[in-house]
Amino acid sequence: MDKLLRRKRYIILFLAPAFILFTAVLFIPICKAVYYSFCDYKTNYPIEFAGFKNYIKLFTKDETMRTAFKNSMFFMVFSCVTQLLFGLILAALLTNIKKGRNIFKNIYYLPCVLSSAALGLLWMFVFTPSLGINKMMESFGWIDDCMNGPQWLFNTEGTIILPIIVISFVALWQYVGQSMMLYMAQMSGISKDIYEAAAIDGCTPTQAFFHITLPLIRPMIATAMSLNAIGSLKFFDLVYNMIPEGFLGNRAHVLATHLYDQAFKFNKLGYGCAIGVVLLIMCLIVTFVINKFVKVDNYDM
Amino acid sequence: MKKKLLALFMATVLSVSVLAGCSKGNDSGVKEITFMVWDDLEASQDLITKGYKDSIDRFNKDYAGQYHCTPVTTNLEEYYNKLNTMVAGGETPDVFIVSPGANMNDYVIPGVAAKLDDYLNKDGWKQTFTSDAVFAGSTYGDEAKNGAGIYAIPLNIAAACVFYNTEMFADAGAEVPETFDDLLAACEKLQAKGYTPITISAGTAWCLSMVAGYLCDRNGLDLNDIKEHKTDWMDSKVINSGKQIQQLSQYFQPTAAGDDNDIATAAFYNGNAAILIQGSWAIGQINGSCEPGFEQKVGVFPFPAVSGSTADPNRVIAKSDSLCMSSTTKNPDAAIALMKYFVDDTAQKYTAEKGGKIPVTNVEYDTTVAPPELAYVMDVFKSANSTFGFYNESLYDTEAGSTFDNCFVEIYNGTDPAEALKPIQQYYEENVWE
Repeated sequence: MDKLLRRKRYIILFLAPAFILFTAVLFIPICKAVYYSFCDYKTNYPIEFAGFKNYIKLFTKDETMRTAFKNSMFFMVFSCVTQLLFGLILAALLTNIKKGRNIFKNIYYLPCVLSSAALGLLWMFVFTPSLGINKMMESFGWIDDCMNGPQWLFNTEGTIILPIIVISFVALWQYVGQSMMLYMAQMSGISKDIYEAAAIDGCTPTQAFFHITLPLIRPMIATAMSLNAIGSLKFFDLVYNMIPEGFLGNRAHVLATHLYDQAFKFNKLGYGCAIGVVLLIMCLIVTFVINKFVKVDNYDM
Repeated sequence: MKKKLLALFMATVLSVSVLAGCSKGNDSGVKEITFMVWDDLEASQDLITKGYKDSIDRFNKDYAGQYHCTPVTTNLEEYYNKLNTMVAGGETPDVFIVSPGANMNDYVIPGVAAKLDDYLNKDGWKQTFTSDAVFAGSTYGDEAKNGAGIYAIPLNIAAACVFYNTEMFADAGAEVPETFDDLLAACEKLQAKGYTPITISAGTAWCLSMVAGYLCDRNGLDLNDIKEHKTDWMDSKVINSGKQIQQLSQYFQPTAAGDDNDIATAAFYNGNAAILIQGSWAIGQINGSCEPGFEQKVGVFPFPAVSGSTADPNRVIAKSDSLCMSSTTKNPDAAIALMKYFVDDTAQKYTAEKGGKIPVTNVEYDTTVAPPELAYVMDVFKSANSTFGFYNESLYDTEAGSTFDNCFVEIYNGTDPAEALKPIQQYYEENVWE
C-alpha cells in the first residue's frame, strides 16, 4: 500500500473523481453564482454586468430581505438551542435505557427521512383551524368555535409572527432525531471504565453527565450545531409548503424562499444569486464562529 | 488479437445502441413539433385541458405522416420555471401556452415568441375571431415607433363576475346590487338572515387582487396613468378601493384567510355562502362538483359600480389562455397548423358547451347544452363596453403584480391603505418611473 501511495499517478487517479465532481458540481457553480450576483441576469435576456447594484439594493432597499434575514436568524438560534437541548436529552435517555432503545431511536429518527414537502402539507392540515388542533380544542371544550381559536398559520402580529414559531417547532420535531443520533454515536464511544471509575469515586449520574459525557462529546456538539445552523439558514421546504402563498405577504419569508421568489418567480436570477452569496457567507461565518467558540479538546476515550 | 477485435466490435455496438437513443432526427419525413401546456393532458379532469388534448389528437390524426405534435406537460406552479429553463437551454417548445400581459411580454421582449400578424392575415384566419378586441392582451409594441404586433393566439375568454345563490338572496330579501353600497346592503341582509354573505380565498392572493382590481377600476383608476406617472399609487381612487376592501371583508367567511380557492369555491356550490366573486372558469368547477340542480339556483351579475364615480361600470375583467409560437421553430407551418386546431369550430364549440368559457371565434354553439351560467356570463360580457386584465398581470412586471397583491393582503389584514400601498409606490419609483 505504501509503495502504491508513493506513486503519484495512483494518488492522482484516486483523487481525480472526487476533485472533478467537487469542481464541476460545487466549485464552478459557486464561482458562476458569485459572478452572476454582480450582473443583471434574467432568463431569455442578455447578461449585463451591473457592479454592486444587486448588493446595494439587497442591503439598503429590500424590506423583504430584512424580514427574511430576521426570520432566518430566529430559525437558526431556535434550532441550535432547542436541538442541542432536546437532542442531548433524548440521546442521554436512549443511551441509558436497555429495553426499546432501537424502537424509540427509529421513532425519533423517522421524521428525518420523510419528505419535507409531504410533512409540510400534513402539518398545514393539522394547523388549519377547521381541521386540526383547533377542532380538537373545540371538542374538548377549551374553545367555543374552532374558527375563533388560535390562527396558527395566519396570525400576523408580533416581531416574529406565530406561523414562523409554529414552523420552528415542526422543524424541531422533524430534525431532533438527527441531532440525537449524532450525540448517541459519540456517547456510545465513551468508555464505560470512565463512568465506573467516577461511580466508585461517588459521582452521581447527573454529575457524570455534566462532567464526563458533555466534555467528551463536545466535538460532536460543534459538528451538530454547525449542521443545525447551516440547515436552518437554508431552510425552505416547510415554510414553502405550510405557509399559503399570498395571505402573509412577505412577512413569512426566510432567505431561501426570498431567493426562490426573486430568482424563479420574478426571473431575477442575478439578484437571486446575490441572496445566495449572502446566504453562503452567512453559513461560512456561522460555521467559523461555532467552531471557534465551542471549545474542542481531544480526549482519549 | 481476435479477442481485442471482438472487444472493439462489442464496444462499438454498445456505443451506437446507446447513442441511438439520443437521436432527435426523424427519417420518416414527419415534421415533429412540441407543445407545452400547464396541465397534465392525460390525468387532468379539467374540461378545458381535456379539450386541448382533443385538439392535439385531432391534429396528429389529420396530419399523420406529415406533422406530429408531442405535448410537454407540467403543473401550473412550475410551468414558467420549466419553460424558462427550456428556453435558456435552446429547447424552446414550438408552441407554448401563456397568460397575456406581463407573462407573455417576458417572451416577446427578448424575441422568444414570434410575431403572428402575417399568419393571422393570411387566408382570412383573423376574420374568424369575434373581433380585434380578443387580441388586446396579446398585442405588444408601440404603434408609433416600431409597430405593434400580435404575439399570441387567444383560445378562450373567461370573464370575472359575481356569482350568487338566487334562493339565499330571495330568502334574505336581498336584491341584485347595482352599486357597491347596494352590495354592502345585500350582504347585511344575508348576514342578518344567518347566511355567510361572501366566500373568497384571501389565502390566494390573486382572488383578493381580482376584487381590488375591480374596485380600483370602478373608482376610476386608469393603469396607463399610473404607468405614465400621471398619477401614483397614493391616488385617492386606490386608497378608496383599499377602504372598500376592508368594508367588504366584514362579510367574508371567517376562514377566508386560510381557505384556498378550491375550498372557497366549494363553500359556494355546497350552499354555505351566498356570493362568489370569481372568473367564469369556475363554472366548470361548480357544475362538476355541485349537487344536481344547484346550477339552476346560480345567478350572475357584473361587479357593481361605485356611487359618485364617473368610471364606466360595465367594464369587465377578462382573461384568456393564449398560444405563442417560438421564433426559432424550424416548422412554423406545422406550429400554425396546430394553433388553428385550438381555435377551429370543433374546439371552440367544446370551449363553450363543455368548458363553460367564452369562445373567441364566431362559432355557433348549442346554448341548450352549454352550462346555464354561461348565458349570464355572456350577457355580462356582451354588455361590457371594454375589458381589462387582472391587475397583477397587467402591471409593469410580475414582481409589480405580486407587490400589488401583497399590498391588498396587508389592507385586508387591517393596515391603513395609505400605509399598506407604500411598497407598490416604492416599487414603481425605483423600477418604473426612474
